[in-house]
Amino acid sequence: MSAQAPIVEFRNAGLAYGEGPETLSEINLQLGEGEFRFLTGPSGAGKTSLLKMIYLALRPTRGQLLLFGEDAADAPREALPPLRRRIGVVFQEFRLLNHLTAFDNVALPMKVAGVNQNQYREDVSELLNWVGLGDRMHVKPPTLSGGEQQRIALARALVSKPDLILADEPTGNVDPAMSERIMKLFVELNKLGAAVIVATHDLHLVQSLGKPVLRIADGQVTRAPGRGGAS
Amino acid sequence: MTQPAETTRIAENSAASAPRRGLFNRWRREPLLPEAGAGGAPLTAVIAVMSFLAVLAMASVIIINQSAGRWTAALESEITVQIKGASAADIAAGASAAMRVLESADGVLEATLQSSDETEALLEPWLGRGNASAFINIPAIIEVKVTPAQRADLAPLRQALENAAPGAVLDDHATWHNRLATAAQSGQALAFLVFLLVMSAACAISVFAARAGLAANRDIISVLHLVGATDDFIAAEVQRRFFVLGLRGSLAGLAIALGALAGIAFMLEAGVGRDSFLPQFTIGGWHALWLLSVPMIICFATAVTARLTVLKALRTQI
Repeated sequence: MSAQAPIVEFRNAGLAYGEGPETLSEINLQLGEGEFRFLTGPSGAGKTSLLKMIYLALRPTRGQLLLFGEDAADAPREALPPLRRRIGVVFQEFRLLNHLTAFDNVALPMKVAGVNQNQYREDVSELLNWVGLGDRMHVKPPTLSGGEQQRIALARALVSKPDLILADEPTGNVDPAMSERIMKLFVELNKLGAAVIVATHDLHLVQSLGKPVLRIADGQVTRAPGRGGAS
Repeated sequence: MTQPAETTRIAENSAASAPRRGLFNRWRREPLLPEAGAGGAPLTAVIAVMSFLAVLAMASVIIINQSAGRWTAALESEITVQIKGASAADIAAGASAAMRVLESADGVLEATLQSSDETEALLEPWLGRGNASAFINIPAIIEVKVTPAQRADLAPLRQALENAAPGAVLDDHATWHNRLATAAQSGQALAFLVFLLVMSAACAISVFAARAGLAANRDIISVLHLVGATDDFIAAEVQRRFFVLGLRGSLAGLAIALGALAGIAFMLEAGVGRDSFLPQFTIGGWHALWLLSVPMIICFATAVTARLTVLKALRTQI
């Protein structure tokens, strides 16, 4: 990967489910190091599908997708885990492992990367304290509220200090105060160099931060008027 | 952020909230795949049954080997000389001459001329009590114990006996020995085949359980992939899980099988079933190690099979 290569780059990419028509088409999008984008659009427009392609849960059915300068659309399976470890994802439905404690859920990316527990114990505890769950780190998700689960999902996405942070409605289940804290955290992480994409319906949130906006409608990704984004 | 409802949940989950402490918890590794996902208790029970059958099959190999060894060792050190004749006097004379040859021959450890009563008793099952001597001239039988060197070359002794007693027939039990050896080898091969079939069945069960585990844990495996887990990492998790289940099941099966074998050995020792075909046996030393190795073989076989099954299945995913 060269130093100038974008973190995410779509070239004429499209996505179709099965034999159906393309859900997303002609995606041309670049996200450079340290850039921040909001992703908006009506429900079912394809925000989550776009994010899924970026975190490699789906691959484009045509065109190219480059992640960190490497071909991710046609790369063999063995090449995907190192790319995924550079991406932190806050899933819309949290996707926590219910049989693990909050601590173990947050530590999951470190465990699969083979990091020794002594090396990540402090980071995990600090993150859980920051999201207000320091006293619940040994509780399992089914006994936590939706907001608490979302905060664990957030901590899990950030624990490995990823180069790219993807968040799908990260403030959907938290109160306004926590919502503001989470967004400020994303902004701080962005300032430290991480690229960030936040998919949200919350237009107030989008306007308050004044960051560039990508809009998905009718299967097309466009730059919102007056802001940076899709090329 | 603290709300009354959350406070209540903290109290409800105080046990779960307690940090893990203690000497062993320091090394305890939380499994990333849930306990219930890979078949759990049913799989353990099936592996216990497989282990029980495999240990019994292996024990059969050992017992047949021991018994065949004892029988053939006895046959290899003994020969029989039969003296036929036209009359009882001819037979007696031939027996005396044969005994003189045997007593003077090198390599003969012991020669015992059976009495006519003992020989007649051998014919009782076919001819009835006291009837044999009325119909036939019963041959004289000499039981002879020889050294291994003599056993290896019986031709000179056979010739000397024929010269001294023209009706003498030396039987080295070769036919019976060969049949016994063949029967023992067949029995061992059959028992080993049963062992291999049981192992194959255990592996097949492991394949089904691993596939079921993958289906049950599809979401968890998806999350593991998305946070950067490799197929090998996930397969190793499954392998570890199956090894633990296999170890539990196979040790239980071993314990039950050893109990059954001890019970059979005790009954045979006590004389129960003395007339049955079952030989007395003892299992110790290397043979005991063979039996103890069966659960480990099952553990490794099921764990490795599960790993390979998972790796194959994961290759079909994105």
